[in-house]
Amino acid sequence: MSKMTIPLGPQHPALKEPVNFTLVLEGEQITGSTVNLGYNHRGVEKAAEARTFLQDIYLIERVCGICSHSHTTCYITCVEELAKALVPERALAIRTLVAELERVHSHLLWLGIAGYEMGFETLFMYSWRDREQVLDCLEMVSGNRVHYGINTIGGVRRDITAEQKKIILSKISYLEERTKYYVKLGTEEPTVLARTQKVGMLPHDVALERGAVGPTARASAVKRDVRKDEPYLIYDKLDFNLITHDTNDVFGRLVVRVLELVESYKMIRQILNYLPEGPIAVKVPAKIAPGEAVSRYEAPRGEDFHYVKANGTDKPERVKVRAPTMANYQSVAYMLDGGYLADVPMVIAAIDPCMSCTDRAMVYDRKTDKINIYGWDDLRKHGIEYYKKRGIDFSKM
Amino acid sequence: MSEFEKEEKIKTQLEAKFGAVITEMTIQRKNRVWFEIPADRIPELMKFMKTEMGHTHLATITGFDGGENLGANYHITDTHGMITVRAKTPRANPHLPTVTGVFPGAVPYERELEDLFGIKIDGLAPGRRYPLPDDFPADQHPLRKDWKTSDAYPDEAPAKQEAA
Amino acid sequence: MKIKDKIILWSRLKSPWILHFNTGACNGCDIEIVDALTPKYDLERFGVVLKPTPRHADIMVVSGPLTRQQVKRIKRIYEQMPEPKFVMAVGTCACSGGVFDGCYSVVSGIDKVIPVSIYIPGCPVRPEAVIDGAVKLLGALEASSKK
Repeated sequence: MSKMTIPLGPQHPALKEPVNFTLVLEGEQITGSTVNLGYNHRGVEKAAEARTFLQDIYLIERVCGICSHSHTTCYITCVEELAKALVPERALAIRTLVAELERVHSHLLWLGIAGYEMGFETLFMYSWRDREQVLDCLEMVSGNRVHYGINTIGGVRRDITAEQKKIILSKISYLEERTKYYVKLGTEEPTVLARTQKVGMLPHDVALERGAVGPTARASAVKRDVRKDEPYLIYDKLDFNLITHDTNDVFGRLVVRVLELVESYKMIRQILNYLPEGPIAVKVPAKIAPGEAVSRYEAPRGEDFHYVKANGTDKPERVKVRAPTMANYQSVAYMLDGGYLADVPMVIAAIDPCMSCTDRAMVYDRKTDKINIYGWDDLRKHGIEYYKKRGIDFSKM
Repeated sequence: MSEFEKEEKIKTQLEAKFGAVITEMTIQRKNRVWFEIPADRIPELMKFMKTEMGHTHLATITGFDGGENLGANYHITDTHGMITVRAKTPRANPHLPTVTGVFPGAVPYERELEDLFGIKIDGLAPGRRYPLPDDFPADQHPLRKDWKTSDAYPDEAPAKQEAA
Repeated sequence: MKIKDKIILWSRLKSPWILHFNTGACNGCDIEIVDALTPKYDLERFGVVLKPTPRHADIMVVSGPLTRQQVKRIKRIYEQMPEPKFVMAVGTCACSGGVFDGCYSVVSGIDKVIPVSIYIPGCPVRPEAVIDGAVKLLGALEASSKK
């Protein structure tokens, strides 16, 4: 078998950011891969040092559009710890509510993208249409569909009214009904199973070794979830299950995310029932006393980590952001090895990358000395055709 | 027993193994322990914490510019609590040993230290730079306090907000 | 105008094909652009199709502040698009750098590198704004072809 080296780089038809994977192929099988990042580097950490703590909320939110609340909450927890601020319980509850709504929107988004990568476009349209319900809830609560800006140092900026509570609960009921269909689809539909089972294998010990986090790790039976391990906000008062699966593959990741949706609906109901009376923010002085703090947060993709160092002025000395996908992409190279070229889009999409994208894929066949150019969409079509030849056809659904 | 029983145990265990090289050991609050150790003992410390103390997850490595010293904070967890280890290295000749032998996932974190701070990581396998673009000057390190955008791009108009 | 040209203009206006390119965005605008293709906003009923390759696209929809790493790539992709081509800068970051203006790794708005036909501000843009922008662009196209 001849060896081919393919670079996958930055340009994708459906969302995604720039990343470059280099794959070494033998025939259809991948024998080696490396990951190259850096296309998305904007210099946020340096910019954060030039802005005040309050302005930094706006900046940190825009590290990622899908999990923006995760980043601000994680960052603000550090700052409030340094300022020794006692955030009111109502504010923590509202933050948790937005956090779970964000998790729902993110997992539904992922479900659609996974469907798209498989060739199951109807699932993409269904799940994104249902996702509009969550975006309506978020817009009602915060004023924007993306980048909610609900956090401020010392609490939240907007309150929840009884009217909004009713509307959120009715939309959640609708989504619970729809999610029953997605659970059935994910666990029983043979075409979906054929594309996801035994694909992108990540054994338990490798997941631990490479520091995988979030649903990627939980699908390999790693019982890790910051909401349970080190509860923050009001998670210690909520009753929910830690979802894990033991199949170590893309199927496991799909199941974990869909079941987490169900848990999130439960939690949203509990939070709305629990909402305690009280103020929504405390005043915090602009200058923060010197010190260092770290905080962790379970973003939809996994453990988000922030470090803040203050030096007594109103600007931070150092801010460090480590997003969950950074910890997960180490595992991607392992997952791709031994797999097929046709499965590449599925495997990369399964870690729910908040940073994935593909360039032109250049395939060099050493034996025949020919070079072929593949784009991500060509690879996606290649995957769909490869499986169609083996009887797995979504166009009949 | 104080309310920080678990944290006290961590402190005792580390001091028993490493003794006086550990300095500035602080229990900031529940689940947060901070201390400093000389740079050359880092790989040994990492191995000890991973195999003997159940701290198997390296969350990230944060570089910093402390004036006459550069350095890195290693944030390790057993998923419940966070231990941060600080290691300093002189600005004139910054070096840190690699921890990829213990935590293979640390490769990008160490490349960041090399690219953004200019700290040479001894033992790190060679590879493409991260996260700066390919055409960024190799001898400039943006996250150092004395660096400004105009150092690398002198022809561009000065930015509206620069780090002081 | 000859019949052949009229037909070509009509097909361009009635079914513009777009290419989406992310120059280091936070994904906020990207998911709103993709949202414009989903059932609630449904751009596809206007004949808009998302194409993966620049060689088939009429309009390049760009989001994100231009990171330095992407400067070469965006130029190359722009050159690969066949004439006539248009560029839609979506989001405050693509228009002017947005919150990342001044960062060392960012070149600010994309108009520093390629010509932009229409700017759609917003952080992130609303899907309705994307549709509005597309319609305005087509209107301007039609108006300029009548001259």
